[in-house]
Amino acid sequence: MLDVKDLRKYFPITKGLFRRTVGYVKAVERVSFQVRKGETLGVVGESGCGKTTMGLSIMHLIQPTEGSIRLNVDGNWQDVNTQTIRRLRDKMQIVFQDPYSSLDPRMRIRDIVAEPLQAHGMKNRRERYERVEALLEAVGLGAHHMNRFPHEFSGGQRQRIGIARALALNPSLVVCDEPVSALDVSVQAQVLNLLDDLQEQFGLTYLFIAHDLSVVQHISDRVAVMYLGRIVEMGDVDSLFVTPKHPYTEALLSAIPDPDPDIVREKIVLQGDVPNPANPPAGCHFHPRCRYAQERCRTEIPDLKDINGQGHLVACHYAKELDLTGISRAETA
Amino acid sequence: MLTFIARRLLFLPVVLIGVTLLIFVAMSFLSPYQLVSTYIKSPEELKNQSLDDLVRKYGLDQPVHIRYMNWMKNLLKGDLGYSVSANMPVTEAIAKRFPATLELALFATIPVVMGGIWLGTISAKHYNKPLDHFSRVFAIVGWSLPDFVFGLILLMLFYGVLGWFPPGRLSMWADSIVLTGDFVRYTGLNTIDALLNKRLDIFWDAVRHLIAPVITLAYLWWAYLLRITRSSMLEVMNKDYVRTARAKGLTERVVMNRHVRRNALIPVATVSGSMVLGLLGGVVIVETVFDYKGIGLLTATGAQQLDYTLVLGTTLFYGLLLVLINLVVDVLYAIIDPRVRLE
Repeated sequence: MLDVKDLRKYFPITKGLFRRTVGYVKAVERVSFQVRKGETLGVVGESGCGKTTMGLSIMHLIQPTEGSIRLNVDGNWQDVNTQTIRRLRDKMQIVFQDPYSSLDPRMRIRDIVAEPLQAHGMKNRRERYERVEALLEAVGLGAHHMNRFPHEFSGGQRQRIGIARALALNPSLVVCDEPVSALDVSVQAQVLNLLDDLQEQFGLTYLFIAHDLSVVQHISDRVAVMYLGRIVEMGDVDSLFVTPKHPYTEALLSAIPDPDPDIVREKIVLQGDVPNPANPPAGCHFHPRCRYAQERCRTEIPDLKDINGQGHLVACHYAKELDLTGISRAETA
Repeated sequence: MLTFIARRLLFLPVVLIGVTLLIFVAMSFLSPYQLVSTYIKSPEELKNQSLDDLVRKYGLDQPVHIRYMNWMKNLLKGDLGYSVSANMPVTEAIAKRFPATLELALFATIPVVMGGIWLGTISAKHYNKPLDHFSRVFAIVGWSLPDFVFGLILLMLFYGVLGWFPPGRLSMWADSIVLTGDFVRYTGLNTIDALLNKRLDIFWDAVRHLIAPVITLAYLWWAYLLRITRSSMLEVMNKDYVRTARAKGLTERVVMNRHVRRNALIPVATVSGSMVLGLLGGVVIVETVFDYKGIGLLTATGAQQLDYTLVLGTTLFYGLLLVLINLVVDVLYAIIDPRVRLE
């Protein structure tokens, strides 16, 4: 469905009177992955690890520095680039993180949702509004909401509007950029279930970006873990959560709060902060905070490799040797 | 929308009473003898009367609230007293001079609003590129140059040296035609009247007299609007909903015009109220510099000659005008930002 190869996004750091470029923040560094038709690929990582930048680069809402992005449209692979992106926007859409700021405050809901239809050639206004009505109903809102303005809605409702807008053009791929992180926990569940239902109903493929592991576990078929702009581990949701192969994933998993107070689990507290992405540590970027780090980790950057031939990819020199703890099978059920 | 305007209109009398109260308070700082002058309708009245008689006649020895009521009664009759410096009743002087100022303000406002917003948009689109730097320098110069200095420079250059744009409202020959009965004064605005009378030569003469004062008035506010529009555009351009608009697959032009600029205009509409206020204040100076016979020059002359009647009268007129302009700005604001309407 989506094939991303060696995607990079560098932000220049400028200094002084003439804005000389003195370095780059490597927000996304050589990221490659595929998303299969109909599945949900979850992407997790700490704040600032480049998840959102990656999502926006794929959508060409920011210009990627390098790399190829290809989208499968009815069996044909098409390059996504500056020239083709406007045409391909009806095939790939994005749901934004902040439902409060991502809707134009001056527009009525019907116009917010109808605008992409108009831009992609649906000329008849009545037809457009009929489609808007159907979309709003599909996301759990009604026709009576059409004439209102965004500020009259709650966060969850706004996100539903954002989803309706994304679905207006009948896309096959939807990038969900932390769609629930700005919402209350109770509303999060509703929106996640809605996304689940819509996926089934419209046969959607999701690239689901989040920092909440339980959300990702709930919605994803496969998961990619990002650290400092790179994917460090990727695999099926069960195998990654139960048998993580990267020390960073292990640490993240150990931080998931457990509803059962009797289960005492060892929490791995990572030492230090996320290093400055403008000046990442040599070798494996994770080594200064890794409790298994050895000499080799300080000098050599590990490649992302399939370790068991079943699509579980890890970027760690000692992935095979280490015996890491995930969450118990019971919890995945 | 209509209910919004209606509700806003209901509020109008309250504001108007506030304005009159303020001016009345300013008036009561004058002694009754000074105030007598503001009540006299024509010089004839002064014959065979002592000042004390007049003070008594107009109730200036009465307590404050009665004086206010009396003053308001006259005001509602359109009687603002007799201006010594203009040698006619104040109402008449204002009615005579206002078209000139209106003409100047109209000719200044239109280029200011269009030009300022346009330049601000361009500046924001070319953020940190040469065009942006250029318009920012242009704005800083305009913003720092006092209008009386800039006006004098223009006068010196375009009248003193080049002889293109003379001061005043019309040349002598045009003035003499305008004052004859054949020339019908429909509006009092020279340019429009000239067109309606099919006198292109007079129209051109009126325009020639307007150019320099209009540029003087406009430059400062150009700079102001340019800066507001630019920074507001830059802010909106980084908003998430603009990214959303791009994600919809809209063309860059539609994104800019429909989403960025319309939202960026909200703060511009807010400041345009104070801009009109500044324009009216600027008119006093600009009309004086260019000897342009409008309300500004009338007020300035009156003030120089300690003509209280006239100054109070024009102040009141200014006050009422501003209240109305603010009403218009509020309505404009509601048109641009639907959220205002609904509250």
